[in-house]
Parts: sequence; structure tokens; C-alpha cells
Amino acid sequence: MYNYKTGIRPIDEVIDGIEPGSNILILAPPMSGAEKVGFVLARPRAGEYTIILSTDQSSLEITEDFTGRNADNDHVGVIDSITKMSTPDAIDTLRVKYIASPSDLTGIGIKFSQLAESIFKGELDQSGELFPPPVRFYANSLSTLLMYRKLEVLYQFLHVISAKLKKMDAVGIYTLNSESFDDRTISLMKQLMTLVIEIKEENDGGYIRIRGKPEISPEWMKFRIEHDELMVGP
Amino acid sequence: MIRTGITGIDEMLGSGIPRGSRVLFSLEPGVDARLFMYSTLTNSLSQGLRCMIVNPLATEEVFRSDLLEAKGVDIDSFGDRAVVLDSRERERINEAFSGREDRKREWNSLLQAVCDRQKTEVIFVYFDLLYEDLGLETGVNLFSIPCCEGKSTLVMENLNLEGQQLVSRFMEDFAFDLIITLKSGYTTMPFFNFFTLEYTSWSRMPTRSIPYLLSDGGIRLYIPKIVVTGPASSGKSTFVSNASDRGVSVDRGDQGEQTTVAMDLGWLHLKGFEITMYGTPGMPRFDPIIPQLVLHAMGIVLVIDVTRPDTFGRAKELMELAHVERLPLVVAANKVDLPHTLTEDELRARLDLRKDTPVYFISALKRAEVRHVIESMVDQITRFPY
Repeated sequence: MYNYKTGIRPIDEVIDGIEPGSNILILAPPMSGAEKVGFVLARPRAGEYTIILSTDQSSLEITEDFTGRNADNDHVGVIDSITKMSTPDAIDTLRVKYIASPSDLTGIGIKFSQLAESIFKGELDQSGELFPPPVRFYANSLSTLLMYRKLEVLYQFLHVISAKLKKMDAVGIYTLNSESFDDRTISLMKQLMTLVIEIKEENDGGYIRIRGKPEISPEWMKFRIEHDELMVGP
Repeated sequence: MIRTGITGIDEMLGSGIPRGSRVLFSLEPGVDARLFMYSTLTNSLSQGLRCMIVNPLATEEVFRSDLLEAKGVDIDSFGDRAVVLDSRERERINEAFSGREDRKREWNSLLQAVCDRQKTEVIFVYFDLLYEDLGLETGVNLFSIPCCEGKSTLVMENLNLEGQQLVSRFMEDFAFDLIITLKSGYTTMPFFNFFTLEYTSWSRMPTRSIPYLLSDGGIRLYIPKIVVTGPASSGKSTFVSNASDRGVSVDRGDQGEQTTVAMDLGWLHLKGFEITMYGTPGMPRFDPIIPQLVLHAMGIVLVIDVTRPDTFGRAKELMELAHVERLPLVVAANKVDLPHTLTEDELRARLDLRKDTPVYFISALKRAEVRHVIESMVDQITRFPY
């Protein structure tokens, strides 16, 4: 079976990456580098593709941030929920699909399917190294979606999207601000996840804790990001 | 009648939607189905009807741009006949009023004002945010405004996150007249979209599911693969050839001894459907390719030769190879123009056919008879729960 490498040493070395159909939540306070950890996880490896749902940055900005980290631009598709608010006439391209706003869950679902279909048909890249093509879906962030839609509605929506990811043998990666929502919200979101990566910021740097896999230590570990890999340890 | 502008659907509905009806397009997340609403809207406007569009998901400018991109229709060209209440109206109401009752009252007066001014004949509603803000009952009942001299027609699109239970509520609690659910299936082929005609109040139509394709701003009903299989020399190539508007056959051998070595391929347009047919070879040496040909098929036509009951064992082998138990099956008992003694009961018993599997005694040389089998296949496919 194909396993997805995460770029996070404890996960890749101890359990050989994550299985298709998994959902990973990155739970972090603001300004603690959750996006950078998300980029490490979401970067498409050889033959893989990534679909990004961007709720806070335009496709231009997020692609620049993402591909600036050596991600292959041909293997990245973006659902942009920002640009149409200022440029209503923005027209979809092969790799960038626009929706009216983060509240448009119908649009998110449609554009996700369109990008996934293009990937499966080999329209984004015809090399076809792997079939079915491994796909990473990166939603940055659930916090914004929760500002636009009710918790129960978003939960149901993500439940359906997770089922689709599972059928495609894809994985989902989501970021959520741990300080802006109550326990119930965070607990409900966690229910959809296979793995939760918690991040905290201390005086001496960032710490990470991986929950959901008994093989991996649930202790806080100091981390740093080097060459698109997340290293743990002092 | 209001036409949806979708070939096949209007025909099935008896030339469209009766005026004054309540219509629901219920979308499963991920299904590319916005054209159902767009198509009905642009057709209503083209018919000269006065329309109100309530779309809390987008600004008027974004809605206009999306419609233009999807259908090539500029809503501004219809002037006052198209009034849009957009996401800004919802934001204004939600900011000004926190209580559900107050919001409902504000929406009511807003809708009534448009109706009074414009005498709205059709109201198009993107419902899911209103459902969230006002609840199901209050949200739906907002649109029971009597406009014009009679009732206005209501056409709703809703992102359904609650499944069939919610669809039933629209039918039973709110007396919707037409409910079409839009889903995508992954079992037959990836990203395969289909709609299901769940209910119509004005006709006794059976529930049926129909695949569709999006093309050039339109919706085309589509069957991407029907496989025609059967023992060697049972008449498969003749069947595919006579069913098709155009086709390709890869046969080898002397005149009169030809056999299919790869596949027969045929395309036809039937009752608004685009159909592609694949004929398999019948010789056992080609068996390894049959599972590949059957992959993503939506139905199987088994062709057998009524004059050769000795080939029925081979027919059963092919049925197993093609996994007919997973797909709609129709049996074409071919060569009835030649002397034979086979009865339908005997055929069913020899092939272990289910009671509901249709069997047709035909001559594949007769195009009308072959087409009748394909019509039956389409009927089976549209009733099959994918």
C-alpha cells in the first residue's frame, strides 16, 4: 500500500508515513508556525499532487509561499476563496479555481471535484508516475471556515469530504487555531481526524506533540524546520 | 410550463415544470451541478418571466460573473426582469438583527417589496445559508409569497448535508412538487455525476437515476460504457454495428469465419442519451482482456445464439468474467430468424437468470429490435442504484 511521507521524522521513521484516507489536524495558537508545518506536510512528493483550499490568502500568495518551499507547481491546484471578493470576474484556470467566499461550501465541493478529476485524467501533469495519483488535500484554515459557517454544518461537510478523500486514497491536512474556539468545537473537529499535531510556542522555540498513534511518543518535542523537513530534538 | 433547458429532463417532466410549482435541486457536496439552477434560470428569463434570485453565498457581481462563465449569459441583459438579492443583503440583515424572528421579518419585507415592485413569477433561492440562519421551516416558508395573480414558482438549490431524510422533509412537510437530487458516484467510475428524479407531484414517475456530463455550458445525459458480450459467433459484432450510429470493429479471419480479436466499439444517440458500446471478443483465448473491458461499465448486454444451446456454458463463463451480478443485465437471444426450439423459461433456467433480468428474442440483423434491447438497457441503468 502507498504511504504518504509527512516530512515529520517521528511519523516517517516510526510508522513509515501515513496511510491513505487519513486526516491530520494541525492544532496551534496564532503565530506559532502552523502554516509552515502545514506546508511541510502538504508538499507533494514525486508523483503526488496537492489541492490547497485557501481561506486566508489569494491563490497567488499561497502558491508563492508554497512553491517557494520547492513544491512542484505543476502538481498543485488551489481553491481560492479570497480573490473573487475583490475581483468578481476572476476566471478559473486549470490549476486555480475560484469560489465566491469561504461560506460557499457548495463551491468548495465542486472545485475540489474539478481539480481531483483533472488530476486523475492527467491534465495537470501527464507523466502519470503513479496511479491512482496520490493526492494531499490541505485546508488552510478550518478557523476561517468556522467563522463563516456553523460548527455542525462544517462538521457534516468535512465528514462527506473525508469520505471522498478515503475513496480517492488521498489524505486531508487541516489547520485550526487552538485558542479561538471552545472545547466542544475542537473536540468535534478532532473526531474527524486520524492524527492530531499540536504546536506550542515557548521561550526557547516551538514544540510539537503528536497524538493518535500509539507507536509515537505523545510527549512534547522541540522542533525546527530544515530543508522542508520537520526535525525534532534539541 | 417552465423549461429547465436540459434535454431529457424536460421531456421526462412532460415539457417542463408547471407554473406555481416548488422545485428542489438537492446537491451532495462535491457534485458539479450548479448548471441545473443556471439552466432553469436562463430558460425562465428567455421565456420572458420575471425572476428574483436570492443568493446569500455570493455578491451580485460574482453571481453575474459565474453565470456568464458557466452559461455565456449576461444576467444584466434581461434588465429589470432579473432582480438579485445577494450576500450583502444577508450580511446587512444578520448585522442589524440577532434574533431569528427579527431576521425573518426583515427578509419577509424585503422579498415582498421586490415582489410588489416587479411582480415576480419565479423565485430562485440558494438555500443552505438561509437554512442555517433561520432554520428549515422558517427558511422555506419565507418563500410562500403570493406574487403575480397566482402563486409564483419556487426553484431552490440546497447543499444537502443530511441525506435522504432531508429530501423526504421537503417532499412531505413542505409539499415540494419536484425534487431532483444530484450526486456523484465513485463505485462505477471516479467523478461520475448523476441526478435522481426523486419525486414529481404532477405525474407518477418512478424514481430514476441518470448519469450526466457537463459540456459547453450544457448538461448531456450520458452512458459511458455498455459492454456487449457473449460466446463466439453469437452475433455481438452485428449487434453493436446495428445498434450504433457509427462504430469500429476489429475482426480477423476469412470471409464467413471472422472473429473479433480486440473489441467492437460503437457510439449512438438514443432518447437524449450519449452512449458508448464495447463489444468483447467471444473466443476463450481473449478472456484475460474481458475484465478490463468491463471496468467502469454501466451495463452488460449478453448476446446468445438461440440455435446453439451448447454454447450456454460458455455464456455463463462470460457472465462470471464480466461480473454481471454487480451491474444491470439484459439478455439478447439472437438469431430467432433461424430454426430453433428454445423457450424463454428454458433459457432462464440454463443461464440461472434473475426473474427481473429482461430477455429479448431478436434478430441482430434488424436494427429496430437491437435498438429495443438498448432502450431496455438504458431503462435498467437509470433504475439501478449506483
